[in-house]
Amino acid sequence: MSAMTTTPRTVTVRTSAAGFVGGIWHFARREFRDAIASKWFILYTIAFTVLAVGVSFLSLSGVGSHGFAGFGRTAAGLLNLIMLVVPLMALTAGAGSIAGERERGTLLYLLAQPVSRTQLLLGKYLGLAAALVCSLCIGFGVSAVVLAWRADGVGTGSFAMLMSFTAMLALSMLSLGMLISVISRRTGVATGVGLFTWLTLVFVSDLGLMASSIIFKLRVQEIFGLAALNPLQSFKMAVIVNMNASLDVLGPVGAYASQTLGGALPWLLASSLLAWTLAPLGLAMLLFGRRSSV
Amino acid sequence: MIRATEITRRFGRVEAVSALSFELEAGGSVALWGSNGAGKTTLIRCLLGVIRHRGQASIGGVDVRRHGRQARALVGYVPQELAFHDDSRLGNAMMFFARLRRVSRHRAAESLDAVGLTGHERKRVRDLSGGMKQRLALAVALLSNPPLIILDEPTSNLDAGGRGEVVATLRRLRADGKTLLFASHRPDEVIALADRVLVMEQGRLIRDTTPAELWPTEKPVQVIRLYLTLASEAEAADALREAGHAVHLNGDGLCVAVPRDRKAEPITALARRQIEVRDVEVLEDVQIPEVKQ
Amino acid sequence: MRFPILHALICLLPAATEAMAEPQVQRQPVTVIAQMIESAELGDELLLPAGVYEGNLVIRRSIILNGRAGVVFDGLGDGTVIEVLADDVTVRNCTIRASGENVTGEPSAIRVIAAKATIESNTIEDALFGIDLRQAPDSVIRGNHITCKDMEPGRRGDGIRLWWSHGGTIEDNVVIGSRDMVFWYSEDLHIVGNTVRDSRYGLHFMYSHGSVLEANDLLSNSVGVYLMYSNGITLRGNRMRNNRGASGYGIGLKDCDDITIVGNALLANRVGVYVDNSPSSIDSTGLFEGNMIAFNEIGLLATPNTHDNVFTGNAFIENEEPAATHGRGRLVSNSFAQEGVGNYWSDYAGFDLDADGIGDVAYEPKSLFGEMLAREPNLRLFVHGPAQQAIEFTSRALPELRPEPTLVDPAPLAVPPKIELALGESGRGGGRMGMLAAGFMSAAVALILVMSTQPGLRAVREGDRS
Repeated sequence: MSAMTTTPRTVTVRTSAAGFVGGIWHFARREFRDAIASKWFILYTIAFTVLAVGVSFLSLSGVGSHGFAGFGRTAAGLLNLIMLVVPLMALTAGAGSIAGERERGTLLYLLAQPVSRTQLLLGKYLGLAAALVCSLCIGFGVSAVVLAWRADGVGTGSFAMLMSFTAMLALSMLSLGMLISVISRRTGVATGVGLFTWLTLVFVSDLGLMASSIIFKLRVQEIFGLAALNPLQSFKMAVIVNMNASLDVLGPVGAYASQTLGGALPWLLASSLLAWTLAPLGLAMLLFGRRSSV
Repeated sequence: MIRATEITRRFGRVEAVSALSFELEAGGSVALWGSNGAGKTTLIRCLLGVIRHRGQASIGGVDVRRHGRQARALVGYVPQELAFHDDSRLGNAMMFFARLRRVSRHRAAESLDAVGLTGHERKRVRDLSGGMKQRLALAVALLSNPPLIILDEPTSNLDAGGRGEVVATLRRLRADGKTLLFASHRPDEVIALADRVLVMEQGRLIRDTTPAELWPTEKPVQVIRLYLTLASEAEAADALREAGHAVHLNGDGLCVAVPRDRKAEPITALARRQIEVRDVEVLEDVQIPEVKQ
Repeated sequence: MRFPILHALICLLPAATEAMAEPQVQRQPVTVIAQMIESAELGDELLLPAGVYEGNLVIRRSIILNGRAGVVFDGLGDGTVIEVLADDVTVRNCTIRASGENVTGEPSAIRVIAAKATIESNTIEDALFGIDLRQAPDSVIRGNHITCKDMEPGRRGDGIRLWWSHGGTIEDNVVIGSRDMVFWYSEDLHIVGNTVRDSRYGLHFMYSHGSVLEANDLLSNSVGVYLMYSNGITLRGNRMRNNRGASGYGIGLKDCDDITIVGNALLANRVGVYVDNSPSSIDSTGLFEGNMIAFNEIGLLATPNTHDNVFTGNAFIENEEPAATHGRGRLVSNSFAQEGVGNYWSDYAGFDLDADGIGDVAYEPKSLFGEMLAREPNLRLFVHGPAQQAIEFTSRALPELRPEPTLVDPAPLAVPPKIELALGESGRGGGRMGMLAAGFMSAAVALILVMSTQPGLRAVREGDRS
């Protein structure tokens, strides 16, 4: 007790940037530790790894004996799998983050510490992002082992880029999830909205765009523009451009995009993903700062 | 240490805190007194700058809204019940907060030692008893040796033993010159710890007084809890206040502070109004310890 | 003993560097060669002295030119570099470069307007047209390496072109970045072991009948092999990979009768096989047997009027769409089985209970999304996505939405047939992929280490005490 009180004013008021970043870093580390110890993380990682390995294995074993694998149906299956699982993983992780703290009552306690809401939010974001990337690294790493063992598969560069784009997709979905978490009062609501968003991005928006392209006879540039708004489509196109150097796989719309945009196309798609990362996160910070519920 | 001016906070149409102003000098100790819903917790959250409010609040001269981070660096906060990730271990939780508050590991260990939790580092937060949790919360609050401790009903979930430990620690802190602001439901605590009482009702500050005025102590005071039918509680409270008793609703029965030798008075007063008292419980004696001033 | 050797090496060093710098190329006009040809006996083999010969050479005598000493014919970017006007001329082991680039007069590296020429083991660079045979029957073009001028694809010339030149042998040539290797009105050709890549059409037949194409490698062209109005052609053991122009095919057939396509590998093309109105005459057929058709966006694409083709023993593996019609219609007027042997379809969901190697139920692909694609090609944007799966799932769940099958294979194979492809190239990249795997894993471990290790309070306290 005495040690505590020998110096009555040890606290100095600091506004240093180092303190700001330090706070974020501590939250990030705590979030990461909690995430990788949690059931959802382990479950998703195992599920993703098993599926990714399965798909990699299948895509090679079909004609693997001929030492050839292309971007065929099963390789596309990996893409399909990523587009289903990764957004689900990231959206639910994000949706649970702030709402969960609020519901458990821990949010108030954390905010009563000398930290800002921005620090808390960014710290949680970075921690969860690191956990997601870690999970993806494990999934991709194990499938790379399978690919290496079966030799000649998808090119190393393409595979690394696939991983990078998947990480970008995960980060954008995570920030969308955090936005949902900030505006939802309860974890249940946040998870529900997260699932609904997932459903919308994965199925509803594509189906809607298909229907409207038939009904309204949309032109290729309109279809491309609308599709590129969906981060999942941007992701898919970015991966395919990367593997094929062209989008002609995607029919007239893809060919149009490849011809008119050329070398700018991958950058455009990557920046769409980046925008989907920064915009929801920025909005989440704004709203979280303004919200008064704890 | 605290300067609050015209603090107002609405939840929808209800003003949870309404145009409340007070000041607290360094080294002082003030209790917030009032029934559930009087706005004590909301006021504390406003002072911590974790919810938005109108009016101005500053801690140690730092505006809590504009420089919340710096203001909170001057505050150790102890909640009603420590809400922290249940899975984490006590030592890890302590380290996390030590890092947040930028104090050394050594200091964290010291802080744990001060509340007598040394040796429990490997325990998970969920496995701690209520008293241990509150001691942990105190240890966290004291990490950076802040001049001000704000407590929101720190003992309400504790048994008698736990309460005693916490109150004893807080008395030591007072003696060491810390400034205290706390909400409480228990006259004994208020008498033991506060030199000022802010009585709140429906968000407003209705009395700025002292424990001695609130509970005349020429005779030792005792608190009895009356169990009534729910419907009659409000009416009973009014009746007792008319009869000059200090009453508060505690969610579970009605607490009345009475001089030790006139414990039956409230019951008689209620009987006169034909309000039935189901049960009476005499809470343990308020011990009025010597408060160093 | 060591020192004398070292000494000798040091002494030799200046001499060696001198020798390496030596290619003091002798540049002289090509008329030097013309004079040598004039003074040679007919049928002589001239071992040309090393050097660069500049200008355009016209050969009017039957002669053998051998440039193995290091001979370069440089057209200086003007006209045809070597023009052969006499029968029985051989040009061998030469480097021929820099033809003209203006398309008028179609400047070539070598043009032959005579019979029985042999163009062998030459290296042709920077040419508009590579080797151009005009009415040059019974010629041999073998082992040449041809790269065309670095121009936009629309302005390039053909790597090898035959025009009214029957009975030629085109063997083991490599053509890179040209327009086509094209055959006009030329019959009875043997086209074996050539490689064409990064060009427009790998092998292009116009009105050229009765030829054999064997073991050619057609990689990353717009179209691998395009046969037009050409009958009686056999394709055997060729490999068409990654031919994916905007209307790219591994093999394209337009109005061709009696084509035999056996044991070819069609991999990762936009469309594996495209059949447009072939066969077109009455009583003619087309046979597709034992081909590996894998990883294409569409395995088999055919115009709706296509009929009387036979597909047997082919392996359709992991094509985005195994078979589709170009426009609306079905492929049911073709046979997908012969004498009880159908094809292997990797998306076949049937079973083979009697284990005779033939599936017990017919293969009838019904893809609602495929049907939608046929109507609305723009929807192809949505392939490889979950929405596509959702549509297929829905059509499977609701039979009334299910379209008519595009084709019927009454005897689908239960296991893929053994097809020898001789693709080689296996095992490449395994090590690098292993490194990548190691990289990913260590990234995960590093993340965990950086983010989650923390010195406990306990350890510190114990440290303090000691």
